Amino acid sequence: VLSRRQWLLAAAAAAGLPPGAAATRPRYGGTLRVEIREAVESADPPQFGPGMAQLSSAFAVTRWEAGRRAVFAADENAPGGRPFLDIVDVQMARPQRERAIEFGRADLVELGPAELRPGSSQRIWSSAPVRLLALVFGPRVDDVRVREALSLAVDRAAIHKAMLQRQGEISGGLLPQWISGYAFLFPAAADIPRARALLSGVPASARALTLAAADRTMAERIALNARDASLALSAVPAGAADVRLAEARVISSDPALALAGVAAALGLPAPAPTAGPEALLAAERSLLEGARVIPLFHLPDLYAVGPRVRGGPGITPLGEWRFENLWLEGGRP
Amino acid sequence: VTFRTRLLLVFTVAVMASVGLVELLVLGNTRRAFENVESQRVDALVAQFQKEFDRRRDEIARAVSRIAASEAALNLALASDYAPYYNQASTLASAHGLELLDLVAADGSIISSAEFPARFGYKEDWLTESADWQSRGAVLRRQELPDGITLAMVAVRIVTAGDRRMYVAGGQRLDDDFLSTLVLPKGMRVRLWRDLGAGQQQAMPELQPLIDRVRASRKAESDVVGSGAAAETFHALPLTGYDGSLLAVLLVGSSRRELVDLEALLRTIGIGVAASGMLLGIGLAWWATARITRPVRQLADTAGKIAAGNWNATVDLASDDEIGRLARAFNRMTHELGEQRERLVQAERVAAWRELARRLAHELKNPLFPLQITVENMQRARASAPDQFDEVFREGSATLLAELANLKQIIGRFSDFARMPAPAMQPVRLNELAAESLKLFDPQLAQAGIRTAVEFDPNLPLVQADPEQISRVLRNLVLNAIDAMPAGGTLTLRTVAQPGGTLLEISDTGQGLTPEECARLFTPYYTTKTHGTGLGLAIVQSVISDHHGRISVQSAPGAGTTFRIELGERS
Repeated sequence: VLSRRQWLLAAAAAAGLPPGAAATRPRYGGTLRVEIREAVESADPPQFGPGMAQLSSAFAVTRWEAGRRAVFAADENAPGGRPFLDIVDVQMARPQRERAIEFGRADLVELGPAELRPGSSQRIWSSAPVRLLALVFGPRVDDVRVREALSLAVDRAAIHKAMLQRQGEISGGLLPQWISGYAFLFPAAADIPRARALLSGVPASARALTLAAADRTMAERIALNARDASLALSAVPAGAADVRLAEARVISSDPALALAGVAAALGLPAPAPTAGPEALLAAERSLLEGARVIPLFHLPDLYAVGPRVRGGPGITPLGEWRFENLWLEGGRP
Repeated sequence: VTFRTRLLLVFTVAVMASVGLVELLVLGNTRRAFENVESQRVDALVAQFQKEFDRRRDEIARAVSRIAASEAALNLALASDYAPYYNQASTLASAHGLELLDLVAADGSIISSAEFPARFGYKEDWLTESADWQSRGAVLRRQELPDGITLAMVAVRIVTAGDRRMYVAGGQRLDDDFLSTLVLPKGMRVRLWRDLGAGQQQAMPELQPLIDRVRASRKAESDVVGSGAAAETFHALPLTGYDGSLLAVLLVGSSRRELVDLEALLRTIGIGVAASGMLLGIGLAWWATARITRPVRQLADTAGKIAAGNWNATVDLASDDEIGRLARAFNRMTHELGEQRERLVQAERVAAWRELARRLAHELKNPLFPLQITVENMQRARASAPDQFDEVFREGSATLLAELANLKQIIGRFSDFARMPAPAMQPVRLNELAAESLKLFDPQLAQAGIRTAVEFDPNLPLVQADPEQISRVLRNLVLNAIDAMPAGGTLTLRTVAQPGGTLLEISDTGQGLTPEECARLFTPYYTTKTHGTGLGLAIVQSVISDHHGRISVQSAPGAGTTFRIELGERS
């Protein structure tokens, strides 16, 4: 476990701040204004997972407006010592979030990959690729040829290049390369002729699917790719879809735990306990057999960081918030 | 139908026809005039709309030109990696007020699409097929969107930076939302029929014939759609794509409600005017016919009075026109006729008195002569043979009494005619009465060698009559028939039931009568016989008249005579 000072030094280096900045004495006080993409609609603040749930070790929630706002105050008796910040004010799913720092209304803003502005000198904190985007088939799609054809139709490279702005990595596996080390073994290249060949014997009615996705543009792109392979995908609400664009988060840097977590999140059977990369690869292959789940990308968490923020990065490689080590320029000494 | 009614009908029909014709002509001409004005208005509105449409096309072309000339477009054209510009089109489109914007690389692949961001990397070959985009305005084309195909007005400009080039294709959807932004005059609406390809054609059943005509001719057409106040004049304008294919038909509808309302108002006014004109015409016709027919009616009334026996009636008209001359001629003629009638009555009265005197003298002379002879015989017997006087006196007295009785009888007959009693009506079986009356004359008929023929209708109804008087009539006529056939013949009695009454005919086969005799036959004291008072048939006619019946005679010399008696129901 790193000491507070060691962590600060490491963070300054990771944040790319000038050498003097790391030695700047932290200041107490101030409100860190954070804007996140998601609107958390639960009645109470989340207790598990990344983000706000991880503030609980050093901050206590003082205001909760489901789907809109959460305010956390510094815990004077936090186990690791009182955080430098007085308040963390989290705004959820606000419009024009990508320009919030420019407008001066936020200090830390969660961004989607497509929200990165080209050529910008914006300071960015990025986690490792921990968010798996995958297509998950419902039980109605029982023809494996259809599922495999869709897997072959999706042009992951084009999506990754433009829509995801090359953030994260293209993936055919459930675990990211940085955790498993073998993700490259899962094919992820598009092959439209082969997809069409697979579908040649499938009746037209079975080639018409519904797709539900939170990211509408991503869904449209997948539908376009599918159309190239003679599959008709149409967007519908999540509950009634044949296929859904799901997101599963890697919750541990331990490969076995990570695979189990991802499998659980995607509704796959729990993998058998394994030891060693080969067994893990076999377990993952087993999970992907039949193409019930088509992994597409592993994406990082991205945060734009405002100029007042010091002491970062405030997120870990797994995307966990570590705001207790941050302070704001202009705070009291 | 009176003359006045007929005249009124003719006048009314003439007035109604005239007013109706004028009304039709006025309405027709007014309608045509308003149709022309409406047509000109609609043409002007359509021209205004086309101008607005063209203005919007120019706006699109200008907006795209501005984007192409922007620094952002230049930077993008020069960029070695297009991936960071994936969202650029959306920003530019928003900034320049365009719905659609595609930034397309020189090879035709989409760098960024505002309306369909997911299409990045896909090819837009239609852009690279033409080289003269710079000189073109906004063109129509089918545009793919996430939710399907739509029609769009798109302008294309090319950004050139050194050896790099990029296409900027921007525009707006051509849909109902676009049309709703156009400034339209009141009473107009615009609809758009779109051919989105692959059989995706908008269904507009009521406008389909007009659309089909435009598709066939490729020219603007117009037609009236709907009926009544809901009718609209639609001008259909073909909209072709950049490749010349017909992609849409713009339908500019102009409501005909105002025209229809105006026509309805005109029609109402016309009907009101026509009705008023007709009423006025009928009133005038009523007044005119009253004026025209009043003298004629007076003439008719006067003629009626004259016919009823009032020979003093005259027409009181002072006008100098034809009717006045007719009235004066009528009065003169009536006056002359009255005088002639008076003279005739006087002459007839004199003739009747003469006839009466002659008959009376004749009738009285016959018994008087034996009276004179008897009295002279008695005087001679008294003077010359007193011993035989008693016998002569006895015979003479008997003769005198007989002749006096005869005189009394003659006077009684005249007296009877003078005071004919009123008939005592009762139901009478005419067949039986006729048979009984005929039976009284059996000996005389046999003596005269006359055969009788009876043709009685067994279905003859009961007749209301005085049996005594009808029997007297029958006896008179039978006696006349016997007198008419001194050399024998056939006497026929016939009864026939006929609608509304009964017919009784008594025919003989005697020598017959001349027409003059027939005409005077019922005149009192007229007779063709050497004996008799000439009152028989006069009494017969009087009885039949008292029974509200009618008697007539048919006869010709040598053809016998038939008396026809018609007794009505009232009889």
